Amino acid sequence: MEFIGISIDVFLITSTLALAAFGLAIIYGLIGVINMGHGAMLTLGAYLTWYFMSLNIPFFLCIIFSGIGVALVGIALEHFIIRKFYDRPFDTLLLTWAFFLITTEVIKIIFGTDFKNIEAPIAGAFEVFGVNIPAYRFLVCLFTIFLITISNIIFLKTDLGIKIRALIQNKEVAGLMGLDINLTYKAVFCFGSFMAGIAGGLIAPMLSIDPYMGNIYLVRSFFVVIVGGVGHLLSGTVIGSFLIGGTETLFAIFSDQVVSQASVFLLAIVLLRLRPNGIMNKKDV
Amino acid sequence: MFKYKKFNFIPIFVLLTFIPIIFKGYIVFILPQYILFGVLAMSLAFIWGNAGILSFGQASFFAIGGYTFGLLIKFFPVINHFFLGSLIVIFLGFVVAVITSYFLFSAGVKATYFVLATLALSILTEQLAVTKSTLTGGWNGLFVDRINIKVGDFTLLDLSGDVNFFYLILFISLITYLILNYLENNKIGKVLRGIRENENRMLAMGYKTSFYKTVAFGVSGSVAALAGALYAAHASFISPSIAGVLFSTEVVVWVAIGGRYSLLGAFAGGIIVSFLSNYLSTITPQYWQLFLGIIFIVTIIFFKDGLAGIFKKRYERNNIK
Repeated sequence: MEFIGISIDVFLITSTLALAAFGLAIIYGLIGVINMGHGAMLTLGAYLTWYFMSLNIPFFLCIIFSGIGVALVGIALEHFIIRKFYDRPFDTLLLTWAFFLITTEVIKIIFGTDFKNIEAPIAGAFEVFGVNIPAYRFLVCLFTIFLITISNIIFLKTDLGIKIRALIQNKEVAGLMGLDINLTYKAVFCFGSFMAGIAGGLIAPMLSIDPYMGNIYLVRSFFVVIVGGVGHLLSGTVIGSFLIGGTETLFAIFSDQVVSQASVFLLAIVLLRLRPNGIMNKKDV
Repeated sequence: MFKYKKFNFIPIFVLLTFIPIIFKGYIVFILPQYILFGVLAMSLAFIWGNAGILSFGQASFFAIGGYTFGLLIKFFPVINHFFLGSLIVIFLGFVVAVITSYFLFSAGVKATYFVLATLALSILTEQLAVTKSTLTGGWNGLFVDRINIKVGDFTLLDLSGDVNFFYLILFISLITYLILNYLENNKIGKVLRGIRENENRMLAMGYKTSFYKTVAFGVSGSVAALAGALYAAHASFISPSIAGVLFSTEVVVWVAIGGRYSLLGAFAGGIIVSFLSNYLSTITPQYWQLFLGIIFIVTIIFFKDGLAGIFKKRYERNNIK
């Protein structure tokens, strides 16, 4: 009985983490930009959702709108700053961190610093094997699986996916073949930001919104992506989330929050050292 | 020929020396804290500028130093001893930094991943300070008694006065600067710059790069921890926010603005920016942070060398004439 409860907990946390990390996995995994502004994008998505909700727009549309809003911000960031620094990954790290600082301050100025709450559109819980599962979180789970699957299909089966993969494999040759490199980069960055916005909106009802809420997910998302293996959109993200989320849940059962956080970070760092390219990548790449 | 670089630390320290003589009151009390932030900034510039290793964990060493010093004074009053406390803190900062970094560097982990690992260290330290509230006071922070420097029963330096404490901190930061500057201009500094430019080349030349990087990070950690200990002793207070991600970020911003390739630039950047932050955040807290973020972006894009770079260019231009 207890085992089922724990597994369901792990399942819920894994999918939430995967959702939060997915935008990062796209931007970092596909075009190699260490997006330290990912946390701010999540926060922005949450705030935009809160704002649209206050206009009495249906929740589902709010999520889409905030995804689009964050995507627009992402395009602006890419167009004016990031695209000049693709060959200097370390500077993009600093620049996206500055983006985080600025976005957080703008959010504080516009929305204030007090906590905001979004009511989950689907209240209540249902019972499976005697374990209560919050209906909303379960739905978000399903939606996450749907999102990641769709993205993977786009990545592996469509024309756009082939272009992106060509770009990762060899930028110069892809350019010579007539691929518009700048546009593809922009599309990927835009898509990653869109996913971050959606994730922020979907996570928002699970916790209270404050200007630093994205920070909780920033480092964990990075560990998810790194542990899972950069560039493996589906398997990497899911396995990374499972390891990070699972460890956290298990340790949280018999110890306090700090110990569970510490063990997660420790696990991530140990894995990082043993498999610097992630679980899904071969050791000597 | 008069070597500008060798003596350029004199004006800034002389300037600071005169401040308690000219001014009285609050500024004499508060300035040492900004000087310590400057020392913290130097600890980051030492590894960032020379070895190209960026750490988002400097604040955690600062906090580790502060809390350790505070707890030593609180629970071991027998060790009412400035030197011993400081030595323990320096040692602890070194050990923590070496343990975290050797594990990563020896595996050849990328510099960007190292940033994330140090970011995690900051988060952990902050959480540790918050949750172990029986020891650390949690969110309320830890109060630290001001102690005098004693040798036996003889009071060597009475630290209850602000002026004495000011000069003690100024003196320690001068010594710290000279040590870091010495390291920078000797073999380890050269090897570190070689690593920054091309790590594989240094490896091929037979240098054990992970060893040099680890030592450099250890030195940086112990300097940050010492600054933290002095900060706690001076402010008589330390709180978890000083360990957090945001404070770590601030350190990076100071160093970027001051100049990551110059210890003095970072030192001045730490003092000036933290002073301005504190001053302006009482007037216009939100817009100041926003402004700082924009300056940060502009610095990274256009002035990679920060303030120090501007001075250096000026000097070189004048010299050519």
